[in-house]
Amino acid sequence: MRQNGANVLWWWIAVVALLFPILIVLGIYMRMVQSGELTGLQSWFYPVMTLHGLGMVGLWFTAPMACMSDALQRYVKPSGAVAWFALGGTVLGVVLLLVCVFLGRFAAGWYFLYPLPLMGGWPKWSTVLFLIALTVLGVTWLIWCLDLLRAIAQRYSLSHALAWHYLVGRTEPEVPPLVLIATVSLIAAVACLVAAVIVVVLFSADAFGGIKSDSLLMKNVTFFFGHVIVNLSMYVGASVTYEVLPSFAGRPWKTNRIVALSWNAVLIIVFFAYFHHLYMDFAQPETVQYIGQIASYVSSIPAAVVTIFGALMLIYRSSMRWNLASILFFLGLAGWAIGGVGAVIDSTITVNAVFHNTLWVPAHFHTYMLMGLALMTLGYFYHYCQAAAAQPENRASLWLVVSLMLIGGYGFLLMFYLAGAYSVPRRYAIYPAEVSQGAGYAGAAAVFAAAFLLGFILYLVHTWKRWARALSVSS
Amino acid sequence: MPVLRYALAALALGGGTVVFAAELPSSMIRDEASLTQRQLPDAQLRLGDGSVVRLSSLWREKPLLVTLFYRHCAGTCMPSLLLTREAVVSAGGLGRDYRVLGLSFDDSDTPSDMRAQAEAMGVAHDPSWLFAVGRKQDVQHIADALGYWYRRDSSTGQYDHPTLLVAVNQGRVVRALLGYPISRERFRELVLELRGSFVPYYQLPGQAFLRCFGFDPRSGAMRPDWGLLLLVAPGIIAIIVAIALFARPARPRET
Repeated sequence: MRQNGANVLWWWIAVVALLFPILIVLGIYMRMVQSGELTGLQSWFYPVMTLHGLGMVGLWFTAPMACMSDALQRYVKPSGAVAWFALGGTVLGVVLLLVCVFLGRFAAGWYFLYPLPLMGGWPKWSTVLFLIALTVLGVTWLIWCLDLLRAIAQRYSLSHALAWHYLVGRTEPEVPPLVLIATVSLIAAVACLVAAVIVVVLFSADAFGGIKSDSLLMKNVTFFFGHVIVNLSMYVGASVTYEVLPSFAGRPWKTNRIVALSWNAVLIIVFFAYFHHLYMDFAQPETVQYIGQIASYVSSIPAAVVTIFGALMLIYRSSMRWNLASILFFLGLAGWAIGGVGAVIDSTITVNAVFHNTLWVPAHFHTYMLMGLALMTLGYFYHYCQAAAAQPENRASLWLVVSLMLIGGYGFLLMFYLAGAYSVPRRYAIYPAEVSQGAGYAGAAAVFAAAFLLGFILYLVHTWKRWARALSVSS
Repeated sequence: MPVLRYALAALALGGGTVVFAAELPSSMIRDEASLTQRQLPDAQLRLGDGSVVRLSSLWREKPLLVTLFYRHCAGTCMPSLLLTREAVVSAGGLGRDYRVLGLSFDDSDTPSDMRAQAEAMGVAHDPSWLFAVGRKQDVQHIADALGYWYRRDSSTGQYDHPTLLVAVNQGRVVRALLGYPISRERFRELVLELRGSFVPYYQLPGQAFLRCFGFDPRSGAMRPDWGLLLLVAPGIIAIIVAIALFARPARPRET
């Protein structure tokens, strides 16, 4: 079943191997500027912040999608042509982003909140190029999602794909959790990409037609897109964990009534949790703010708690086979849980009033993106290469990789959390005297991030050996 | 003098007693916003009944709706005051929550001119309406604090000046409205803020064709607007797309 665009995953691994270290280096650059170093390069802080944010979000949406697309081939037949198109469109979009940031100094941040992209000090062409890049990426990913949904629809009815029969006690036909979570995530992805289209159209109406948009409306639509795409990236990462982890535990991890109920609940709740990004917008009615808090609390139970509890039950007293892949999957789930707790704390209105503009916010989203989603995806990549290459594994060097990534990653995150707790503001290139302690945390974070990067490079060496070996075997 | 041009154009188009929503240039909205939170200087004023009061004693008693005018204006002063009278009746709360102060910037105006102004408007016996004159330099200080200007045209004896309404609470401007005529909705918002209510959302005429929410100054509540459809649309489209894709009968997978 792996003939449809199977080889494309090799190229996705190569894209991540190339882009992830570059984006980490950009992150280290930002922390070094905040620590008071690199004073000659300070003017690049906000363009780099924009590229780092957009790049990471895009990378960690597409890489897990590529994994999920690959894993789905056990059950359905996605189009090989669309898989290649998705890779090509993503690369083109990334190139356009690189041009508008490095040549056009576009610096509206990854939120690109209206009307900032149209009012910054950068040339208008870079804003236009940014909108074109968004369009290319949005259309590409939308087609990719629609094709995966089409492939699922060829085998399953909608009620089966969403496992509704489990809700009434039936277990036939059997629906793997991967298919259920993929269906939920892809429907949510279509919604958020349609929201992206609306954002681009409204931006373009202003840029080319002078038709102004309401800033509150734009912020709502932008965060509908931004929040949902980040959340469903996590879900996509979880879907491949459901698929792969049982092979290490030697036990099945099947859909049941609770799993079905949880992920169907996610499909509804995910559209409402984004309101927590607008707590500071006093013009948003209070009712909507409360919906945001309730949805944020409730959304953590079905997806994260059920998945993490299920994973622990799967591993508990099993003859678990630990290698780099299974360790990364396990640590990825832990990162999701830890970052999720940070997110739930931040989604509490009274807490958010204090934390909203502090480094607590990048702390929690870096936790579940870097130590959650990224580790799960890297786990799948390694698993894929190792399964194809079947090379012996050196446990000592694998633990070195894991240790560097763990110490580097959590050390880096701890600096964000501590700085956030001391009210060090986010998005500041240089800290004023009142929060000068932020510089110390930033410097330490840069060192820890470098340790993580070293761990990732060692990971690449291990994966590269298997990647090359698998390619030579297949050729 | 875009404000004057705007006022004259509005008079030519509408005039009369109709208070209608007008297209506001964004520069005027910025000018209004720049007045918010400004502190008014205190001054000694002489009212139409001849009594002498401090401006600060007036704003300590009740919030004030302040407008600058002069008695012999042949332009917008009288129509603007009449519209204000009509608008405060419509918005409610006059006397109980706030008072209106018309302050003359013409140093030739006298307390008897102020009394005549009140009588001409039919508010001579309404203690909620105050008309006052002050010393030339004091009035100039107040005008400067509000960014208000006036210039005498020696050929006609008339003043060139904009039209301004400011809501003042404890000596501080809580909101200002520039131009004539003012829209009923914007005036209601001004009065709501003068009475201590928080207006969370200003609708900027001509600034956005779709909004999530609007503010209803009549009820003082937020209400959904057409832009909300854009927030609902992605979810609905996704559901329709999913139903359409899965509409074909499912078939068993070939092995």
